[in-house]
Formats: sequence, structure tokens, C-alpha cells
Amino acid sequence: MDGQHDDHRVDANGRSQEEREGPLPKRPRPLLASLSAAEIAEEFSHHDPQVARVNNGSFGCCPASVVSAQIRWQRLFLRQPDEFYFRHLHPSIDRSRALVRQLINAPHLDDVSLVDNATTAAAIVFQNVAWSFMEGVFDRGDAVVMLHYAYGAVKRSIKAYVGRAGGHVVEVALPFPLSSPDEVVAEFRRALELCRADGRRVRLAVIDHVTSMPSVVIPVKELTRICREEGVDQVFVDGAHSIGNVEVDMQDIGADFYASNLHKWLFCPPSVAFLHTRHSSAAGRRLHHPVVSHEYGNGLPLESGWIGNRDYTPQLVVPTALEFAERFEGGLEGIRRRNHERVVEMGRMLAAAWGTQLGCPPEMSCSMIMVGLPSGLGIASEKDAMGLRALLREEFKVEVPIYYNKQSPDEDGEDKIGAAAVTGYARISHQVYNVAEDYYRLRDAINKLVRDGFNCTLLPSKEQR
Amino acid sequence: MDGQHDDHRVDANGRSQEEREGPLPKRPRPLLASLSAAEIAEEFSHHDPQVARVNNGSFGCCPASVVSAQIRWQRLFLRQPDEFYFRHLHPSIDRSRALVRQLINAPHLDEVSLVDNATTAAAIVFQNVAWSFMEGVFDRGDAVVMLHYAYGAVKRSINAYVARAGGHVVEVALPFPLSSPDEVVAEFRRALELCRADGRRVRLAVIDHVTSMPSVVIPVKELTRICREEGVDQVFVDGAHSIGNVEVDMQDIGADFYASNLHKWLFCPPSVAFLHTRHSSAAGRRLHHPVVSHEYGNGLPLESGWIGNRDYTPQLVVPAALEFAERFEGGLEGIRRRNHERVVEMGRMLAAAWGTQLGCPPEMSCSMIMVGLPSGLGIASEKDAMGLRALLREEFKVEVPIYYNKQSPDEDGEDKIGAAAVTGYARISHQVYNVAEDYYRLRDAINKLVRDGFNCTLLPSKEQR
Repeated sequence: MDGQHDDHRVDANGRSQEEREGPLPKRPRPLLASLSAAEIAEEFSHHDPQVARVNNGSFGCCPASVVSAQIRWQRLFLRQPDEFYFRHLHPSIDRSRALVRQLINAPHLDDVSLVDNATTAAAIVFQNVAWSFMEGVFDRGDAVVMLHYAYGAVKRSIKAYVGRAGGHVVEVALPFPLSSPDEVVAEFRRALELCRADGRRVRLAVIDHVTSMPSVVIPVKELTRICREEGVDQVFVDGAHSIGNVEVDMQDIGADFYASNLHKWLFCPPSVAFLHTRHSSAAGRRLHHPVVSHEYGNGLPLESGWIGNRDYTPQLVVPTALEFAERFEGGLEGIRRRNHERVVEMGRMLAAAWGTQLGCPPEMSCSMIMVGLPSGLGIASEKDAMGLRALLREEFKVEVPIYYNKQSPDEDGEDKIGAAAVTGYARISHQVYNVAEDYYRLRDAINKLVRDGFNCTLLPSKEQR
Repeated sequence: MDGQHDDHRVDANGRSQEEREGPLPKRPRPLLASLSAAEIAEEFSHHDPQVARVNNGSFGCCPASVVSAQIRWQRLFLRQPDEFYFRHLHPSIDRSRALVRQLINAPHLDEVSLVDNATTAAAIVFQNVAWSFMEGVFDRGDAVVMLHYAYGAVKRSINAYVARAGGHVVEVALPFPLSSPDEVVAEFRRALELCRADGRRVRLAVIDHVTSMPSVVIPVKELTRICREEGVDQVFVDGAHSIGNVEVDMQDIGADFYASNLHKWLFCPPSVAFLHTRHSSAAGRRLHHPVVSHEYGNGLPLESGWIGNRDYTPQLVVPAALEFAERFEGGLEGIRRRNHERVVEMGRMLAAAWGTQLGCPPEMSCSMIMVGLPSGLGIASEKDAMGLRALLREEFKVEVPIYYNKQSPDEDGEDKIGAAAVTGYARISHQVYNVAEDYYRLRDAINKLVRDGFNCTLLPSKEQR
């Protein structure tokens, strides 16, 4: 570690090797052929080999080469933390921010901040909204609109900040299963109309790019456009699942605030996310990180770059994560495309094997898709869904989140397409480490449960977190 | 890693081995003899051997055995993150909280939350104060009192939350150098009197246990008692440097809120801190973590235990850190006592060698002490202090923070004890890895600078972060 990085010569731009590439010694690069299946397996050999891991969406993954890079950064800090702080931290965070800026087609580097996760980004946006209510910039009763399928933590955050400060929170009802993006657009317009009819000014719309549970891709570009037409002050797109999963283009989407986790689909370790603020957004300049440090007032990127002594290494390995992605054919875009194709293929295979259907058309899915579970399982509550998930983990070593869909049975116990009511869905993910066997194991586990006459009333009553 | 921890037998209390000890396999324990000098050096062999590291106060330290434990936790997460989240995370955080509770003599476990650092703890306390102002629980103009030597980030946080919400911020002037805790007490009383004279209700007093720069031990128990007498609503003790450095007893000190970093003097990696809330404190029950998750409203310990997907492993190695401390004679208390004795001894040695003095009497110091620097160095600004620090780091590989003391010169250019005006102080630390040679190198570096006629006007003008 110590010899290789003492190259202080400067290049034509006056930058030393360290300034160009960072303080870590370069590891020998493999030839540019795409990673073989064996190499991919090696990169993820730290995954539990017994587990069929079809849930990349919840916690993401981190290849061995990125883990190693993180450990090198951690050791650099431990070696001489003052030098790390005064010399390496800031430029290294900036290197990561510059790569993110490029990746998301953001015009200005100072619009890109790195934070812990989308949950933190949401708190930053909502705390600012709370101040606006408290300081009379917004009026009591002005509305904030969110989707019914917004992430649980985000809904709580809206209530904790916006609701508490006097804002009126409106939920956009969304059907599930979905047959077209038009259904989402129609419900969204309806919600904005309701606000108008109530005489409420809509100050903020919170729009998921990819909802979590149930997971679908939301037409955020169109909804943002509608917001501009309808005079909504600010648009915050919660893209927690987006980057590395769907296309993410700040200039194309045009939201005021956009956040996405880099540890879900971009191979970074927990945890790091970006929050992008549109340059022209006045509110953007008032955003503050809730953990105030000496950087307060210097802009969100600097504030977020130092929130007291912590481990910032997840933010520093973004270059390594992107190098990893580039080792695949077509790079990140190729990975995305193949993940989507595979997850649709596997989703269809499962739906056929179970006699159910997908939760949305393939074009509304990404690297994740919702697959209906056999109605005989009798999933009748959120608790049943959690219990079934635990059963699959413990008995079958299959990891997959289960969604309980309250909406599905209609009056005669049949769902919209006439099959016996599907009340539960599995959210399957596909990432580069997945193989077909993972999905066959899920298929067989569910089929065995059905064959054995299992249903959720048989689940143990022990509370599952 | 995999075989050793599959012991599911339960003990007499119905707890499995895993519940008792956690999911990590036990590493063989050394015999209970104290660590030898060679073993200590081995535990810190990852420190840069060329650097005389006399600044434990800024970034702390983490022994190799704790780093290893952290890596094992990180690998457990990467192996199967869903299982980690559903099975291991919560009980493991609770194990750490229980140990902290014991260490700080807190009566109730639910008073103890683990957060990232004292900066985060401060934001939690101050955000709550801001809500109190905004919601009319406090009146505009009510006062919040802080010490002049409060940490920079904490001062900013008070302004960002309390002043912004309409609170009146009062700074307690403090002299430096100090000759007695009575000086601090007198100034504090004076500040409370000023508030009373102004007709201002004091809603919160923010009191450092150990100030950062300049570093002295504040008589927090007495100041807290005075606060109770004077009808101050809430007392927040910022003990960022405290645990492992001075005695920390929640029942003895009696503050409403007390926070301390575990990564400074308690051998944890960056970063983890505790925030203690006195059970009887009504305000305590209203504290929320600013990053809102699904745990919102379940109490600060649970809220802080899940703020979105992140690396929680620093919180999980508290047992390993305390095991490390127990390997020293007298455990943590023995370490504290010896650190204090050594730093006073080294401080006196330096003051004698430089012809200066200590910044406070030894009984107002802890494992850190302020040592006057020769006036010939001409430290005349904060920038000079930073520049000298950088020079020591780069030219002499000595790491020590330098404090510029605006207060010292009196009318005839002499300070209070009649020596030529000492305008700069070095804050030296002593931790278990330090040896006398570290301080001799500092002594000699400064002496060389003086001999060579160096003064701060000769520093390069390049801005030092």
C-alpha cells in the first residue's frame, strides 16, 4: 500500500497522480474482456452459497473488489486520520460526486450531494418544507402530495415534518395490479384536481421513480411535467431504487430534487446515495443537512461531506463500483438491460408455474417484478406476508419479499382478470450474480407448500420483525 | 466463521448461545495478564509508524482486534443482509446499549440511544428545541445558554435550529488560561443572571464536559446543579470527549441529555456515540432522530437503531471494544488514570522545555492538556495555528492540534503570569499507544523551529483546510 502511491509528479494539467486518481495504489487491471460467469461468482463468493437470493432490491450487493477498495480506504483513515481528513477526504468525495454527475446527466457539480441513503435525502427535503410552513413561506393547509405506494419511511417522514408543521398531506390512490402507466397518470391528475377543488396550493409532490412494495416503474417524467403545468411548487422524485436499475437523467426528468441509493443497484457498500437539486430551484439553495456541522451554510454538498466524524468510505468507492460495472458488456446500461430481460423471463416462468400473473406489464418493471402467488396460500394480511417470507428464508433458504395486496379480491372473490383472488405477490429481483437455479428454487418451494396443503393460518404466531 | 456459531442450545434463562453472546464466533481469549507493550504495539501496528501521534482527541483510535470484529460483522451483513436485518441487528444493538447503560450508570435501558456522533446528538436535541419554539411551548426570545468554548459544529447547530426558530442564544464568556473551576462557575452564574435581568427564561443550557479547543474539564455536575436551582428547563451536556477520558455517571451528573462519542476514547471505529435522556425528562420523550424511518414514534433508541440501510457495525463492536479495555490493568478506569498521569507529566516536560506553562491546572485536565507554545513562534491567528499544525505534520511528522488564544496578551504584551505573551497552545493527548518518544519529537520539533528563527509570518499562504 505504501510504496505505490508516492508518485508526486504532475501532469500537463498540473495535477499529480494522486489528484488524478486518488491516494489508493492502483490494483492491476484485468484485460477488458467481460467478466466470465466464474469471475462473477468469485466477486460474490461472500454471499451465502446456500441461499437463493432473489431480493437484490432490499439491501443491494457489493462485489469483492469494491469491498477490498473500501477496506483500503478504511485503513488509510486508521493509519493517519488527521492526514486523511485534511488531505484526502474532500478531493475523494469530489471525485465520487463528479462521476455521479456524469452518470445522471446533471449540468452542475454543485447540484450533486452525497448522503447516507434516500431516507436521509427525504428528511433533508421535508425538513426544508417544514421550515417553509413554520416561517410563513407556505400557508397552513397547503398540500403535499405523495403516492399511496410511497415507501413507509418516506410517508412517516412527510407526517413528521410536513404534517406536524401544518401541511395537508394528500395520498394518490393507485391500483394494483396495474395494466398501464395511464392508470397512474389518471390518478395523479385526479389528486391534483382534488387539491384545486379544495382551494389548496400544492407545494410539493413526492413521486417514486420505482415504488418499493409493490414495485412498479412510475412515469416520473410525465408526472413532473403535469406538476409544472398545474403549478406545483416543487417536485421531489424518490428514486431510491433507480440508479443502475432504470435510466436516470436529471435534465430529462426535470424534478427539483432527485435522490437515489447507490448501494442498491450500483454495487456500492452500505451506504451512499446522491441527492440532486435542480440549479434553478430556489428551494434547493435552502436545503440543509439536519446534522449541522461547521460547514453549515456552505451548500448542501459541503454540509453533507462533513457531518462529524464518521466512516465516509462508502462515498469514496463510487469510482471502484463504476469500474466494476464497466467490466460487463455494455457497462451499466448492459447490466440494466439484461437484468430486466431476465427478471421478466423468470417472472413469466414463475407465473406460469404457479398459475398466476405478473403485477404489471413488463414495460412497467425494471430489474424487479411482482409475481402473483397461488391463492391457496391464503395470504390475508401483512403479517401473513412477513411470516411466509420468514418461512421461505428458514425452511427453504430462499430470500424474497412478499407483498400483501389488500386491493385484489372483488365482490365474488375473483380479481380483475378472473382468476381466483391473488392476494400476495413475490417481488423478485435479478442482479448479475443471480442464476436461473435461484428462481427454480423459489418456484419449487412455493409449489411444495401448495402441494403440502400449506396456508398462512398455519404460520407460527411468533411476531416477525 | 460458519461452524462455530451454530449452537442453538438454550441456557437456564431460555437464551441460546447466540442470544447470550451474539452471532459472531468467539475468538480464543488470551490469558488475563495485562497487555504487554509489544502486544499494544501490535494492536496499533496499523498506525503510521513514522508519525508521532499525539492527537487522540480529534479522531480517536481503534485497535486491530476491534477492527477485525467490525470486519466480521460487515461480512455477516454482506453474506445474507435480510437475515442480518431480521435476526441479528436489533439484538446486537441492544447488547451494545446494555453495556453502555452499565458503563454510564444509567438506570433505564430505554434512556440509552446509539447515534453516529455527538454532532448528531446535538442536532437531535436542538431540533426538538426548535419545534418547542415553533409550536409555542417556548416563547420567542427565551434563551439558550452555551459556553464560549462550545464546539464549532455545536454552536452552528444551535444557531441553525434554536436561533432560526426564535430563541435567544447566550454565550458564557470563559477565560483561558484557567486557574480554577471556580472561574467557570462564576462566569456561568453571571450568564444566568444576565438572562434573569433581561427577563428571559432559560430553556436550555448546553454545557461541555470536556471542551475541545481549548481543552479543559468543566465542572458539569456543579453547573447542572446551578441550572436546577436557577430554573433552567433543560440541561444538555455535550460530553463528546468524555467516555473513556473522564468519569461519566448519569445519575451523578443529573443532566436531561448527555452525549458522548465512543470512537474517541473508547476504542470503537468511526463512528458511534450514545445519547442518554433522563427518564423523568418530559422533553426527552419528544426527541426524534432527524432521519425519519418506519420506527418514528417508537422512542429514540428504536428510531436511531434504524435510519435506513446503512453500516451499523460501529455500533455492534462496543462489546469487543470493552473487552479490549478490560485487558489493561484496572480496565477502563486504569487506562484513564494512567493517560491522565502521563499527559500531565509530558505536558510539564514540554512546558519546561519551551519555557511556557500549562493552560490549566492538572486537575482541570483529563487525557488531554493544553501546553503553551513559545511566543517566538508568533502565532497571531487561527490561520497561523492551522499552518503551524500542517507544518508539523508535513515536515516533522508530528500530529498535534494547535490553538490560537486570542485572549492572552494584556496591555504590556505579557500574559497573566508575567511571561512573554503565549498566544498558541498545543493540545496533547495520551492514549495507550503513546510512548514518551512521541512527545520528545514534538518538543524537539518546536525547539528546532525556534532555534531556526521560524515564525508564522514565514508560513506559505496556501489555504489549509
